[in-house]
Amino acid sequence: MVEFRNVSYTYPTGQHAINRLNLKIDDSEFVFIVGANGAGKSTLIKLILRELRATEGEVIVNGFNLSTMKKRKIPKLRRTIGVVFQDFRLIPNMTVYDNVAFALRAIDAPTKYIRTRVPYVIQLVGLTSKAKSYPNDLSGGEQQRVALARALVNDPQLIIADEPTGNVDPARSFEIVDLLKAINACGTTVLMVTHEHSLVKYFGGRIININSGTIAFDEFIGGENESEN
Amino acid sequence: MRISSFKYLVKQGFAGIWFNRINSFASLCVITISLMMVGISVLLSMNINSMIGSIESRNEVIVVIEDGTPENNVTLLGEQLKSNPNIFEVNFYSKDDAWKGMIEKMSEEEVENLKYITTNPLPDCYRIRVSDIDKLSDTVAEIDKLESVDTVQSPDDFASILVGIRNVSTLLFSAVTLSLIVVCFVIISNSTRASVYARRREINIMRYVGASKSFIEIPFFVEGLVIGIISAGIAYGITWFAYREVYSVFSADVSMLHIFGLTALIPFDTIAVPTAIAYAVCGVILSAIGTVVSTRKHLNV
Repeated sequence: MVEFRNVSYTYPTGQHAINRLNLKIDDSEFVFIVGANGAGKSTLIKLILRELRATEGEVIVNGFNLSTMKKRKIPKLRRTIGVVFQDFRLIPNMTVYDNVAFALRAIDAPTKYIRTRVPYVIQLVGLTSKAKSYPNDLSGGEQQRVALARALVNDPQLIIADEPTGNVDPARSFEIVDLLKAINACGTTVLMVTHEHSLVKYFGGRIININSGTIAFDEFIGGENESEN
Repeated sequence: MRISSFKYLVKQGFAGIWFNRINSFASLCVITISLMMVGISVLLSMNINSMIGSIESRNEVIVVIEDGTPENNVTLLGEQLKSNPNIFEVNFYSKDDAWKGMIEKMSEEEVENLKYITTNPLPDCYRIRVSDIDKLSDTVAEIDKLESVDTVQSPDDFASILVGIRNVSTLLFSAVTLSLIVVCFVIISNSTRASVYARRREINIMRYVGASKSFIEIPFFVEGLVIGIISAGIAYGITWFAYREVYSVFSADVSMLHIFGLTALIPFDTIAVPTAIAYAVCGVILSAIGTVVSTRKHLNV
């Protein structure tokens, strides 16, 4: 669950990025966040990940009150969140398996668990045959699947996908969102930031439009895929 | 932390050294040189102090006893001198011993000239050695106050020169050591910064997946530790070789032996173990603290 209560954030330069924003995303929701460049989407994500602390108001994520939380608790919060980036952020000298396992090693998971969990997640994103490949040998879509597997391997309550289709060709973009939808269907909350209106229109659901640090639009719209069905 | 995770992190530390091998090599060289310079300056300082100590111990203070002092009083004076904490050696030198000693040093012609002297004019005296030359003037003043003491002859000028040399050398070597330690810290900090930069992608991912601060820091710590230990080993080896060479050059030349008082030079074998421990501790502490401090500074975890 993500909740913003009257949240504002002003950068040290004086730029107001978020203005008295109120928002509630319940567990198991799938939300598209859209908005122009500089609208405040990235700041919103940074606030959820507690990279930034709200200058005003309260941010609550997965039961953690980020406004009062101590810095040393940040890793605990982040273990409940999976993040997928536009540029994949994979480690080039590690295989697909190691890239995914890395997320579990970083949280001191038992080796036995890593050995069973990692192949399972790689299989979920359909990359079992590429487990021993290196990121540079994969296509953009495949690399994003690896990033998704890495985000998923910790079994997070919330997945934040920041422009996950930005470096992927259009056909593969739909596959990525399909995958996110499938993850969401299993109960994980998904928050996807995107610029691609075609995806939003096609999949529909809850759409939040951010403009000048406030919510300009927060509605459920029907997707084209639903009408196709 | 699990043993498997710890092993993984240690492995990552070693991998980091290889991954940033050029940078690691540069750090290794500079830390080795710095450690070596610190070590050599400490050894030099130790040897200079030892030489000064040796020269100090060879200096005698002569306590001349008043003529006609009864034997009991002479003995009492000896006891009083022995009880002084800064006096480590007290030898009685009778007027007869002094006369004999003087005759032995003279030529036959000079001895011939003395045959007209019928009474021994030399006084009884005590020859003493002080343990701390810094306190020589105080000790002399204390002796001067004692009963039956006629005069006290002490090498005051020489003592003040020795004390001056020792103070300057201690100050100089402390300054050199301190500045080299600072240099080591700066180098380690730069090396860690480069290492953090090279691994920024991994660190970023670690942060996002919720890795703890220690998990992120341990590989850097291991990296610094390994470089520190290897540097200390190399620095020790070079110091050992250089010291032995210098020592053998000095011991082969009798004039140098005379000038510098080689008996005061410390043979490497006697300081090999403490030097090795000092190098290892310095290397480990410098690199471990340097790495932790700079990792925290550059990582901002």
